[in-house]
Amino acid sequence: MPGMTNGLNVNDPIVVAAFRTALLHQGIAALLIFAVLSVAWVAIREWRPAAAADPAAPGVPAEPAWRQVLRIGFGLLWLFDGILQAQPAMAVGLPSQVIQPGASSSPHWVQHLVNWAGTAWSYHPVQAGAAAVWIQVGIGLWLLFAARGPMSRLAGLASVGWGLVVWVFGESLGGILAPGLSWLTGAPGAAAFYCVAGALVALPARYWRSPWLSRLLLGGTGAFLGAMAVLQSWPGRGFWQGTLRGQPGSLTSMVRSMATTPQPKALSGLVSGFGSLVRAHGFAVNLFAVAALAVLGIAFAVAALPRVSRSRPWLLRAAVIALVALCLADWVLVQDFGFFGGLGTDPNSMIPIALLAIAAYLCLAPVPGTAEAPAAAAGPRPDWRSRIRPAALSGWFAATGVRTVLSVSAIGVIILGAAPMAAAQASSSAAPILAEAIDGSSAPLSSPAPAFALTDQHGRHVTLASLRGKAVLLTFLDPVCVTDCPLEAQEFRQAGVLLGADDSKVELVAVNLNPLYSSTAYTQAFDREEQLTGVRDWLFLTGSPAQLRPIWRQYGVASQTLPGGSMLGHSDVAFVIGPSGHLRQELDFDPGPGTAATESSFATELATAARQALGSR
Amino acid sequence: MRAGLPAVAVAGVAVAVLAAGCGSVTGGSAAPARRPASLPLATSLAAGQATWAVVPMGTTSGPNLFWQLFELPAGGASWRLATPPDVATNGAIALGVQAGQSLVAGIHPSQLLDFSPVTSTPDGGRTWSTGAPNPGLADVPDALGTAPRGGQLISLNRSGSAGLARGGNSSWTKLTSTKALAATPAGRACQLTELTAAAFEPSGSPVLAGSCGRPGVAGIFADQGGSWHAAGPPLPATLSGRTARVLRLTRIGTRLTAVLQVGAGHAASLLTAWLTGSRWTLSVPLQLAGRSVMSSSFGSGGGTVLVLSGGRGELLAGPGASWQPLPKLPPGRTVTLALPAGGGVDALATDRSLLTAWRLHSGGAGSATWVKAQQIKVPIQYGSSS
Repeated sequence: MPGMTNGLNVNDPIVVAAFRTALLHQGIAALLIFAVLSVAWVAIREWRPAAAADPAAPGVPAEPAWRQVLRIGFGLLWLFDGILQAQPAMAVGLPSQVIQPGASSSPHWVQHLVNWAGTAWSYHPVQAGAAAVWIQVGIGLWLLFAARGPMSRLAGLASVGWGLVVWVFGESLGGILAPGLSWLTGAPGAAAFYCVAGALVALPARYWRSPWLSRLLLGGTGAFLGAMAVLQSWPGRGFWQGTLRGQPGSLTSMVRSMATTPQPKALSGLVSGFGSLVRAHGFAVNLFAVAALAVLGIAFAVAALPRVSRSRPWLLRAAVIALVALCLADWVLVQDFGFFGGLGTDPNSMIPIALLAIAAYLCLAPVPGTAEAPAAAAGPRPDWRSRIRPAALSGWFAATGVRTVLSVSAIGVIILGAAPMAAAQASSSAAPILAEAIDGSSAPLSSPAPAFALTDQHGRHVTLASLRGKAVLLTFLDPVCVTDCPLEAQEFRQAGVLLGADDSKVELVAVNLNPLYSSTAYTQAFDREEQLTGVRDWLFLTGSPAQLRPIWRQYGVASQTLPGGSMLGHSDVAFVIGPSGHLRQELDFDPGPGTAATESSFATELATAARQALGSR
Repeated sequence: MRAGLPAVAVAGVAVAVLAAGCGSVTGGSAAPARRPASLPLATSLAAGQATWAVVPMGTTSGPNLFWQLFELPAGGASWRLATPPDVATNGAIALGVQAGQSLVAGIHPSQLLDFSPVTSTPDGGRTWSTGAPNPGLADVPDALGTAPRGGQLISLNRSGSAGLARGGNSSWTKLTSTKALAATPAGRACQLTELTAAAFEPSGSPVLAGSCGRPGVAGIFADQGGSWHAAGPPLPATLSGRTARVLRLTRIGTRLTAVLQVGAGHAASLLTAWLTGSRWTLSVPLQLAGRSVMSSSFGSGGGTVLVLSGGRGELLAGPGASWQPLPKLPPGRTVTLALPAGGGVDALATDRSLLTAWRLHSGGAGSATWVKAQQIKVPIQYGSSS
C-alpha cells in the first residue's frame, strides 16, 4: 500500500514540533472562537434585552434519558478520541501504524480505497493530524452542548458523517471483509456504533416516544448479538482452539499481542494471565463467549416483544446488566482498553456497545412531558431577505440560548481544523515539511554562480551565460545511479509541472557526476529511463572528465569511486540560480526514503525556491 | 436558523479532508508476453590470457547483494578483484570474453536503474571504458555476447527482444524478439516459449537459444542474412521424447558451447554440446536426479563444470570426456567453480565480504581434495545502494 507512508520516522522531531505548533495555534484560535461568540452573545443580549426575552423558539419535548445517554456518552467518546489523535506520533504514524495494519488483511479493493485516503494523510501529515483532532473534539463538544432542537440533531448527523469517514478509511470498513472478524476484538468496527448513535441522536423529536423505536433498538441489539454468536462459533476460524498446530489460536494471538504493548504493569499482567487461560482452555473460553452472545441476543430479541417487556421487565434489565458486564470484561481482558500501546485512536467497540444497550433499555421508559409552544404564536414566517437583515440576525442571536452559542463555537472548531486540510488538499503536491524533515532548511546564497560550458543530452553546447534571464534549478546526477539520482530527477520533473506557467522562465539543469559514464549516450539513456525526453527546459549536461571536474569543484560537489561494486558516492545538492546568474539558495537534496510523498514535497520546495529566485531577479 | 447548511458544510469539509486531491497510485505494468527466463547468474569463463568469474557477495538478495568480478591471469596463482568501477553491480554482471585479457561487461539492471551500462577492459580490469548503454539485460548468464572478431555485441533483453551493437559506441538496434522468432518456421518447429541466451557463432553469425515446447528439439537459432534458421544439435534418440531448454550458450574462441537441460523433474538430464566449425558434438547425459543447476562455468578447452544443488560439483573435461563428480564442495554460502586457463579446477566460495579460493588437489590413488589457496576480503560498501 504505497500511500500509507511518507517514509519518515513516526517521531520525526521536525514534524512532531510542527504538529504541536499547529495544535497550539489552532487551540488558541478555538478558545478565541468560544470567547468572541460568548462575549458577542452577552453584549447583544445587553444591547437588545427585548429580543433576549422574546420566547421565539418553539417548544420541544424534554430530552429523554436514552438520548441523553447517547448524546453525552458519544460526545465524551468523540472528545476522548480527539485527544488521542493529538499524540505526537499520530501525524506521521496514523497511516502506516494504524490504518495499514488494519487494512492489510482486507480485500484488494478495500486496500485501494484506504490507500487513497492514506496518501492524502501522508502528503499533509500536520494538517491531517490536526484536522482529525479538531473535527473530533468539535463533534464531541457539539454533542455535549446541543441538547435539543435542530442544532442537536445536526450534531448527530455530524457524528454519522465523520463516523462513516473513520469507519471506511480508518477502520477499513471495520474489517468486515477481512478474515478473523470477531465481536470480541471489535467487529464490526467501533466507528459503526458511533454512526448508529449519531443517527439516533439525529432523529426528530416526534420519534422520541415512538414505541417502535424501543422495539427496533432492542430487536436490533438482539439480532446483532445473535449474528456475532454465529460468527464466533463458526468452525475453521481458529476461535475454538487455544493453540493450533503448536501456534497460538486466533483469540490467544490477539490477547497475547495486546499484553505485550506498552501499558501499566498491572494491566499487562491481567491481560497476559487471561491470554494464558485462553491458550490452555481455548475451547471453554470460546464456548462461554458464544453462549453468552447467543443467550443475550435471544434475551434482547424476546424483550423487544411488547407483551414480554410489560410482563417481565426484569428480563431486559438482567440482559442489559449482563451485556454491560460482558462488554466491560472484554474491554479490559481482550481489547486492553482499546487505546494502550502503539497509536490508540479510540477505546474500541465495547464502551459504545454498552452505551447503546443502556440507551435501548432506557428507551422503554416513559418520556417526560413536553412543553409544546402554540404554533400560531410564531405568526407568519418572514421571507429570507428579512431574516438575514442585521437587525433580524442580532435579534435571533440575542434570543438564542447559551447552548446554541456554544454549539456554534464547536462547529467553528470543526471548521478550524478541517479548513487547513481542505486547503492543503487543493494542491496535488505534498507539504514542504517532509523535505525539511529529511534535509533541513535551505541555505541562502548571494554570489555569482560558477560558469560552465558543457554539452546537453542532444549534443548541443550549453553555457550558464546562455541561460541568463531564466532561473536555473541546478543539480548533479550520476546517469547510472540506482537509488537517489532517479528520484531527484523525478523531483525536478515534478517541480517543472508545479511551476505551471512559470516553467518557461525556469531551466531544470543536471550536470553529469560520473567521470566514466560521461558520454551523451548515458545522459540520453537516463532521460529515457526517467521519462525526461519530453520535458521542456530539461538539460542533462555532460563533458569530458577534464571539463566536468572543475565544475564539480567550484560548486563544492564531491564524488568518490567506491570499491566492491558500489555506485559512485556523491553528495546530493541542488542550487537555485537567479535570472542574473547569481546563486540564491543551496538545498540539501538527499531524497530520503523516496516515497511519492517525499518526492512531491521536494518538488514543492524546488518550485517555491525557483519562484523566489524569479521574484528576486 | 436554517438547519441544513452547517451540516452540509461540515460533511463536505470532512469528506474533502480525506477524499480530495489524493495522490495517484502507479499500477504495475503488464508483463510483456514471453519474457526471457531467469537463470542462475554465477559463472566463470576462461578465454585467452585470463579466467573471469562472476560471483554474488554481500547479502543473498536486496540492495546489499553486490556481484563481484574476479580475474585470474593465465598461469597466475591468485585471483584479483576486477569489478567494474562507478556503477552498482546489485543486478549482476554479464560477461563477453574477447582475446587476451579483454572483456566486455554488461551490468544487469537493479533498483531504479532500468537500463544496462556496458563497459570494457583491455587489461584484466585495470582500466575501463564505456560502450553504448543496453536497454536492459535479461536475468540470464548469457545475456551478452561478443563477436569472434571483436566489435559487435549481441544481447538478450528483459523485454524479450535481442539487440545488436555494431561496435565502438554505436547504439543498440533490435535484432528480433521472442515473439517474432517464435513465428518463424524454425521457431514454430521448436514451439519456442522463451529465450535464454544470446551469442555469436564462431563464424560470426548471431545466435539465440531458448526453450522449445516440442520434444526432441534443441532451441538454438542462427541468423543468416536476416532470416533465422534452426542451428541446434540433434538430440540423442533416447532423449527425443523430452523437451529441451538451453541453460547456457557461450562462445569461447572458435567454439560455441551450449548446456541443455532435457526433460523435467527427477528425470531431467543435462547435456553439453560443442559447435566447432559446422559440426555439433554432444556429451553423454548427466542425470540430475532432482537437483538443479546453481552455477555453470566453462574452460577455454571446452570444459564444463557445474555446481548442483546439494553441494555437488560435476566436471566435464571437454568433448569426448564423461561427467566426473567432484569432491564435496568447500564450505561457503555460494560456491562457483572455475576452470582456469592454466588448468585445474578452482572453487570460489563466498560468504558476505569474504571470497575463499580453493584449488582441487589431486592426491594419490585417484583421490582429490580441495585445498585453500587464497582469501580476498572485498571492501563491500553496505548500504550504498539503499
